[in-house]
Amino acid sequence: MSLAGLDDPLNEGPPTAPTALAPAPVGRPNNSFARLVPNVVLIVAALFFILPLLALARFAMQKVPTVLWDWDTLFDKWSLKPLAVAFGEPEFWPAFRLSLKLAAGTVLLTMLLLLPTAIWVHLRIPRMRPVIEFVTVLPYMIPAIALVAGIKLVKPHARWFLNSDLSLIPFYVVLALPFTYRSIDAGLRAIDLRTLVDASRSLGSGWLSTIGRVLIPNLRTAIISAAFLTAAVVMGEYTIARLLLIDSLPPYQRILVGTDTQAGFGLNLLALLGTTSLFVFVSVLTKKRDRKRKSFAYAATQLAASQEPSPA
Amino acid sequence: MTDTLVVDGGRTAGAPPAARRSWAWLGVLPFFAFLFLFLIVPALSVFWNAFDTKKGFSFSAMGEAFSGQNLDAFWFSVRFSAGSAAVGVVFGTLLAYAAATATRPRWLRNTVTSFSGVAANMGGLPLAFMFLALIGKQGVLTKVLKGLGWDLYSGDFELGSVPGLITVYSYFNIPLMVLITLPAIDGLKPAWREACANLGGTSFTFWRRIGLPVLAPSLLGGFLLLFANSFSAYATAAVLTDNSMIVSRRIGFFLGGDVSIGENAVGFSLAAWMIIIMAVSMGLYWVARQRAERWQS
Repeated sequence: MSLAGLDDPLNEGPPTAPTALAPAPVGRPNNSFARLVPNVVLIVAALFFILPLLALARFAMQKVPTVLWDWDTLFDKWSLKPLAVAFGEPEFWPAFRLSLKLAAGTVLLTMLLLLPTAIWVHLRIPRMRPVIEFVTVLPYMIPAIALVAGIKLVKPHARWFLNSDLSLIPFYVVLALPFTYRSIDAGLRAIDLRTLVDASRSLGSGWLSTIGRVLIPNLRTAIISAAFLTAAVVMGEYTIARLLLIDSLPPYQRILVGTDTQAGFGLNLLALLGTTSLFVFVSVLTKKRDRKRKSFAYAATQLAASQEPSPA
Repeated sequence: MTDTLVVDGGRTAGAPPAARRSWAWLGVLPFFAFLFLFLIVPALSVFWNAFDTKKGFSFSAMGEAFSGQNLDAFWFSVRFSAGSAAVGVVFGTLLAYAAATATRPRWLRNTVTSFSGVAANMGGLPLAFMFLALIGKQGVLTKVLKGLGWDLYSGDFELGSVPGLITVYSYFNIPLMVLITLPAIDGLKPAWREACANLGGTSFTFWRRIGLPVLAPSLLGGFLLLFANSFSAYATAAVLTDNSMIVSRRIGFFLGGDVSIGENAVGFSLAAWMIIIMAVSMGLYWVARQRAERWQS
């Protein structure tokens, strides 16, 4: 183990493996000019990431045309009201409800498909884990715009199914797969799956109650993360919905900008805040889990586990 | 001991080991069947259509999709995707390094990683509207810069041009790069730097001989992922611009517009080419990632 972490002021708690530590200052320059560079980078980056958000917020909440916008009018006519305009539009609610249904359906189908598969793979065929991992990044190779071309081709052969708006659900399950599988996989790796299943089974429970009453509670963080990531992906999916002419929320977000620019920008701002808060929530959850994993107790169990003969 | 217990407690109790192993793969069958139906079948039908013209199997549609205006579109898309990947790699790495080495505010590193996790996924409509509001023709920064004497739109700048798309796509590419390189930068062991100094190396020597070579697979992998990411983005481009030189936008035109059947086939050939390009860059990314993980034990 590297000693670097021990005297690192950032390192909280007992020493752990080097990767878990805040980085030691490798290659840190020692003259003041070179030390300035990271600070400049951070400040420029902060501006680059915050300014577009502020610009969107201005257009959503301030009714002053850009032509008249200067020092005198900078603080004129700000209002939260335009944010709520969308909620009064008759087309908004059906679009929003459809997106909610799609999100709920996608989360449900993802869990039904992925949980048993991932548990089975971890428990019975760990050799196949790399294969499954590779397969779950396939949706990156077949991006939404190419997938929708394929859906259009398949559609005439399966109208009974693809004519329904909710037929998007399985495709959204596929789109979210890289996120969801990784989340569930990380969750399964963090628990002692074999022992939990052993204990549950030897106490007489069947597979269903083992999954429902032992595994799911232990995988809570992973499941919630996967669900939220899925919801964020679905609530913001524009490409497939637009090209299949399905009136979910994102296509409506664009239509509204066309009819009432300010209200449209307001709705987009709200949508952005909505998905962002889902992602933030996931990152807080995962941080908490990682911290737990780094704790001394966890390190001890890992050490104990590593001294047992590993399963063949 | 534990092992036998699990297996014997399972539903295949009593079966001989060989038979047990051979049936385990059945458990993943529903998953693969699902992927086959909803991912592989659509993808294959794109290729089927791209190669199958009225006269039977031919490369003509694939060739047409890779010549003339379509070829120009591919060239344009490769340029802005490579440009935005390069910008993402350079600034993403700088930002990751700045966050990794800054010790002063303790929350800084966490903020940068959490924010990157969020922003890396921030494609789509809101992103396009954010930049329209900032540097669109009526954007606030456009106005401020004009007041300072720099007219953004005096030349042929527009959000759908190469510089415009690079700027906008950097919003998700830079954070994605931060997420990719941060573990690699953490993997640079202080002992290597000390060893380098002991042998008389300077800071430059360290980066030239140790730092960059170790980071190289991560940087290359990051470049490929960012390239693929920019190349396939549709929603942001669709809102930003009408520029039909963007391949994903072009596919959208062919799929959504009222065009004749002949041109439609070209749309599918374009989609087929896109899948090929994505598969190649993601495949190479996969290889680079395996190499990068060597130093991140």
